[in-house]
Parts: sequence; C-alpha cells; structure tokens
Amino acid sequence: MAWRRCCSVLIVVVLAGTLGVGLASAQQPQGTLTVAVATFGNERWLAHLYPGAEDVVLKPMMENLLSRDLKTGDLSPMLAERWEVLEEGRAWRFSLRKGVQFHDGHGEMTAEDIKFTIASIAKEGSANGLAPEFRLIKSMEIDDPYTITFRFEKPFVAFGNKVTQGLFASSAFIHSKHYIETVGEEAAERHPVGTGPWKFVEHIRGDRIVYEAVENHWRAVPHFKRLVFLKVPEPATRMAMLRAGSVDVIEIGGEYVEELKKVGVRTLTMPNVAWLCVLLGGQWPSKSTYDPTVPWALPDAERARKVRQALNLAVDKQAIMQQVLGGLGSVLGSWLIYPTDPWATEALMRPYPYDPPKAKALLAEAGYPKGFEVTMNLTAWPGRGYLPDVGEAVATYWEKVGLKVKRRPVDRAVFSADFRARAYSGVTLAYAAPLVGLEPWEFLIRAGYTKATGGNLFIEHAQLDAFIERLSTEPDRAERVRIVRDELGPWLYEYVPGVAIGAVHTIVGAGPRVGDWPLIPGHMGFHNWEYVTHGR
Amino acid sequence: MVAYLIGRVLQTLLSMLVVISIVFVLTRLSGNPVNLLLDVNATQRDFDLLTRHLGLDKPLPVQYGIYVKNIVQGDFGKSVLSRRPVIEHIRERLPATVELGVVAMLLSVLIGVPIGVYSAVRRGGVLDSAARVFAVLGQSLPPFWLGLMLILFFGVILGVLPAGGRGGLQHLLLPAFTLGYFTSAAIMRLTRSSMLEVLGADYIKFARLKGLHEQIVLWKHGLKNALLPVITFAVLLFVQFLGGAVVTETVFAWPGLGRLILESITTRDYPIVQAGVLVLSALYLIGNLLVDMLYSWLNPKIRYRSTAG
Repeated sequence: MAWRRCCSVLIVVVLAGTLGVGLASAQQPQGTLTVAVATFGNERWLAHLYPGAEDVVLKPMMENLLSRDLKTGDLSPMLAERWEVLEEGRAWRFSLRKGVQFHDGHGEMTAEDIKFTIASIAKEGSANGLAPEFRLIKSMEIDDPYTITFRFEKPFVAFGNKVTQGLFASSAFIHSKHYIETVGEEAAERHPVGTGPWKFVEHIRGDRIVYEAVENHWRAVPHFKRLVFLKVPEPATRMAMLRAGSVDVIEIGGEYVEELKKVGVRTLTMPNVAWLCVLLGGQWPSKSTYDPTVPWALPDAERARKVRQALNLAVDKQAIMQQVLGGLGSVLGSWLIYPTDPWATEALMRPYPYDPPKAKALLAEAGYPKGFEVTMNLTAWPGRGYLPDVGEAVATYWEKVGLKVKRRPVDRAVFSADFRARAYSGVTLAYAAPLVGLEPWEFLIRAGYTKATGGNLFIEHAQLDAFIERLSTEPDRAERVRIVRDELGPWLYEYVPGVAIGAVHTIVGAGPRVGDWPLIPGHMGFHNWEYVTHGR
Repeated sequence: MVAYLIGRVLQTLLSMLVVISIVFVLTRLSGNPVNLLLDVNATQRDFDLLTRHLGLDKPLPVQYGIYVKNIVQGDFGKSVLSRRPVIEHIRERLPATVELGVVAMLLSVLIGVPIGVYSAVRRGGVLDSAARVFAVLGQSLPPFWLGLMLILFFGVILGVLPAGGRGGLQHLLLPAFTLGYFTSAAIMRLTRSSMLEVLGADYIKFARLKGLHEQIVLWKHGLKNALLPVITFAVLLFVQFLGGAVVTETVFAWPGLGRLILESITTRDYPIVQAGVLVLSALYLIGNLLVDMLYSWLNPKIRYRSTAG
C-alpha cells in the first residue's frame, strides 16, 4: 500500500513536472515573425507627432484604454477594465487596470499617464488625427491613480471609439509621462516605451523596426520571440520574399489576390475595412472657393442632384470591384454603410444601377446633353494603392456618356494642400475612407460638418449638420442606430453626395510559419500580432 | 600640377554650390511637407504652428541663406519628419550603399574585363559573338525586370539566395549582380575595343616575336595598357553606383542612400534630399577629380601637358 502511494505521488510529481515544463515552454515565445509592409508612415513615435499611418507598426508596442471584441466588434476593456458614460455623454469615467507596467521598468501605468497622453494629443500644433476631437475635452479629472474622468461641454457619445485599439488608426496610444519627462522627447523618440506585448529593440528608419516579446505581459504573451517589420515598397518583391520564406507576412493589395492564389500563397481577408467612393469636389456653397458653375454643385439643387445621379449611373461599380479590386468588396448604395452594420437594410445596400442611357438622359435634363469637362485626380493614399486605378476606370466610364475627363496624376503632398483648403472645386477623386469610427456619422463629422474645427472636406448641407448634431449627442445607441437606418441613410441615398462604390476588404499574404491569427472585424491594417500562433 | 589641382578643386566647389542651389529651389517647388506631417483634418492654426516650428514660414531667400550658412559650418540640419540630424540618416544609410557599390563594381570588373579580353583575342569567334550577346543583354535589360527575375529564380524557385533585404554576403549577390550587370557589359565592350587597339600595336608584335608566352603578352603587356580607360570608367561607375542604385535598392528592399533620397522626395523631407544630393554630388565630383589625377599619373603625356599648361 505504501509502495502504491509512493508510486502515485511519484507519478503525480512527474506528471506535474512534465506538465509544468510543457506549459512553460508553450508560453515561452519562440522564433521570429518577419513582416514586410509598404510603409511605416512618418516613423514618429510620440503621441503628438504621428498623424495615424504609423498605426500598423506602433500597435505591437502600444495600448489604448479600450479595444474591440473579436466576435461582436463591440468596445471591450484594455488598459481600462471598466468605463462608464455619465451625464448623457458629457462625462466618461475610466477605471484603469492595476499593475500594468511600462516596458524596461519604467513604472506602472496610472491615470497621470492617460492625462499626459491625451493632453499631448490635443495640444496646439499636434499632428495627431484625433487632436480636433480631443480639444473638445473640457477637463480631465484624476479621481485616484486608477480612475480618470473626461468632461465635455456637449455630449460626446462616441468618445469610446476614439480611445480604442480596435480601429485604424488608433492614435490614442498611452505613453509614459515619467519616461518622456525624464529622458526628454528626443530620447523617447529614439527608444519609445509602451505597455504592449512587444517592446522596442531597434528602428532603422526606412528599413526595419524590431520588437521583442514581453514575456510576462498582463494581457497576452506573444507566441513569437521577435517581431520584425521590414519596409519593402515594391509589391512584387514582397510577394517573392514571402514565397522564398524570407518573410512570414506581407501587406498586399486586393489586385494581387488571383496571383497569390495561383502560386498557392495563403491569404487572410480583413473584411469591410474602408468605404470606396468618388468624391465630387466643390459642394461647399458657403466657402470662398465655391464655384457655382460646377455641374454637380450648381445653386439649382435639383439640377445638381441629377448630375450627381448621372455620374453614379454611368459607372459599372461591379466591374470595378471585380477587375480593379480582385472582387474584394461589396458594391453598395448608401454612404459609409457596411453589410454587417445594424442599420444596413436591403434598401440602403442596393447599389445604384449601371445604366449609361439613363445617365445620358439625366445629364441632358440637367442641361448638359453634350456632357462637360471634369478633372479626375489620380492620387494614391497610404495602404490604398488601388485608388488611381479606380479613378482611371471611373474616368473611362464617364467618357462613355460624353464627359471630357482630364486625368491629373498628383502626389498626395501636393493635393493635401488643396484638400485642406477645399480648393478643388470641379475636381473629382477616388477615395477610400478607412473605418475610423463604428458609426457612419463619425466619419461625416470630418467629411461634412460645417462646425467641425478641422475637416468638412467635401460636402456641406444644413440637413447633414442637423443629423450629425442629433446623432453626436444622442446617448442611446439603439436610437442612433434607428436614426442612421431610417433617416440619415435614406437621406444620403437620395442626396447622392458622390459616386458610391462600396465597402472594400483587404488581404494579407501569410507564410507557413503563421498559424491562427484572430483579427478584429472592420479593422484596416495589421494588428493583434500577440495572438498569432506558430503554423503547424 | 598644383595650379591644375587648385583649379579643379575650385571648379568642384562651384559645381557643388550650383547643385545645392538647384536642389533647394526644386524641392521647395514640389509641395509643403507640413501637408504630409499633419492629418488632413488638422486646423489651419496647427498648420501655421508647425510651418513656423520648421522654419518654413520664412521667405525663401532667408531660408536659402540659413541653409548655405549652416552647410559651411558643417550643419546639414534636421530631418523634417524625424527631427533627427540629417547627418545621422546619411551615416545610417551610406554603408549599405557603399557595400553594394563596391561589390557591384567588383563583379562588373571581374566579369567584364576577362570577357572583354577573350572577346578581343577571339574576335569574330563563338566566344566573341556570345560576349556581344552578353553585352547587348546587359545594356538592354531594365534593372527592375532583371532584379525581379533573379529574385524569382534564385530566391523563389531554387531558394538558394535571399529574395531581399540586407544581411550577409548572400543578401548582396543578387542586387550587386543586378546593378553590376549593366556596367559589366559596358566594361566588357570598353575592354574589348581597347584591347583590339593595343593588340595591334608594335610592342605587342615585338613581344610575340621575342617568343613570350601568349598569356604574358595578353595579360601583362596588353591588358596593362588597355586598362587605362577601363579604370577611369570604373571609378566613375562606382560613384554612379552610390547614387544611381535607386531602382535596385527598391526592388531588393536594400536600405541604401538612393532609396532614402527617393523616400525623402516623396515625403518632402527637404533637408535629407538636399544633404543626400549634396553628398552624392560631392562624391561624384571628387571621383571625377580623382580620375583626372589618376589619369595624369598613369599617362605621363597628360601629366606633362598639365604641368606644362
């Protein structure tokens, strides 16, 4: 009996030991995950210095207050373990997780770091895309080291979407106040510090960024020991590097999907990450740059609407989606609505048909039987290299209904000045708006709210202002969903602000070393590296 | 000789001043970098503040004056994007470019010279025809296409060489060959024509009559004299490799100076573009100067004329 008991104890000890070792080695990060991307953005690491395109390479190292659920897409805890919306959206209180450490022993993350980061984003001269919205914060109150309350003059019902890791570009990454104030901004830029599952090792500008796994991270211990980002601007080289095994993951446009399939490369699809359309510049009658002769922005609203409708009907959106984007997307009617949204009704998703004869008839009704001259800007935006091809395709369709289209290849740096000053009346361009907010009116604040501090980039209308004001102060999400579904969506569909093409997906090429990779729905750009498992 | 050198140095400095002036004006014609540094949603006030912070609100002549003054003091300024000293960026990228340039030039010479010599010796033969095909291909294949084909064959199909990036010697072979093939063809043609001229000279006939071994005639007496134009050409090529490898660097994701300048042009990072072009033009002009000096040293007739002049 004693012998049996002894054997049992021994077996338990051996099993426990084996299991323990097994668990330890299973959790031990191993190997290197190498990723080839087209751009690192501006390669700035402090909160007030990155406009947003750094999202992909910053995400491994940094964290936000909130994230988004992998299945539902709803807001979920990250650095804040709880949050409350108070006073009908005029105050947001976040309860922070205790014990979250900044890398390299730079201390615990507290409410002081949150306040410091948000203030840094909001300060004058900040390059951060969230600056105009964070300037709406009236006060930041630190109730205790783990609780912070943001107060606003007016309800800010979507503030949670501004501090979430689950969208592109999540620019509100939390930085260490103590570290930046101690070493100075220049040193902090050379060696940034965050709370994410990967810590900074090396950055060679324009070449590589190297991260190492944080082995006892509070949220997720990465499966790989190292994460290396290589900047490889040429897509053919990225594909070859993936096929040769030099890299494990590549950023690639949908136009390469067929080629990747042919050579047997595994692809992952990130669905509904951006909304593709053609912007029709000049719909801003209250501005000095308004040109009343632009056909789609005429003072006669009904004639102008007929022109915009004609420009829609003249374009075979399905063919563009298939030929230019490799079928990676859905052609949709009403603006900024994705098929998975709660407000996406059949009527709103129904695309404008491809009907060139009707387009010609509408142009004639609007007073342009012989068409008119129009400029199509062919401009590529980061991560959306297909846009000039979309612009070219649309231009070709417009020519078929009698328009004379002047193609203007123009660099983003040059066009950005016109974009900002709204000095592009009569100019059109293909644009893909990334999903920057979970509700469509959040993007419309930037695109068409006349009282926004920045933004208001291509359209203004009193009705749109009214919608945005109602939605942005409506604390009940169910009611917001109803307003978008029953009022804003149909209004946009009828108003026809531009040429609606639809929701686009993006793809990722992945090599054999990559196993499972859970992705957040609607998130443009790479993320969740810490959850990527080893391939079998 | 001293007067000649002083003259050449002054010419070089003047050329560099012209280069930096042209680059200064052209970069400023290409758009404001602040547009790329800020989100499109930024306010006019943010835009103005950043413009002032970067010193871009000053009149162009003032900016130019500050720029030239700083260069004279050895200060190339700070990158608009990274705010790090430009010289750090150049120092970071120059080794990769020099490494690629040196290996590409070595490959060019090691391939081009022997083929050129044998092509001249076997003039009209199979080897000569093959060499001429090699030369035509080398000078007509676009580097981006050749690079991609090499990546596909050696990197993807055979899997024996890395498809891109910078690392050990293995990483160097494909980009160096892509860069060097074009010039090896040129070196081959130059060596061939130079050797044909030399092989017809009296002293070669005399060497053969003396009964010297053909290899000695070719390599010692023939090539030594035929190499003069090849060496000068190779030095200039090397300098061109340093700045002209943009396509190869892009295709192979090679983090060199050419790519840095190209990326800085697209992001309107004026200080890096200006400093990069300045460094490359300085290298080119210094290379030219060295070639002239080398030439006058190798060819006593030139030295005599220079000294006499």
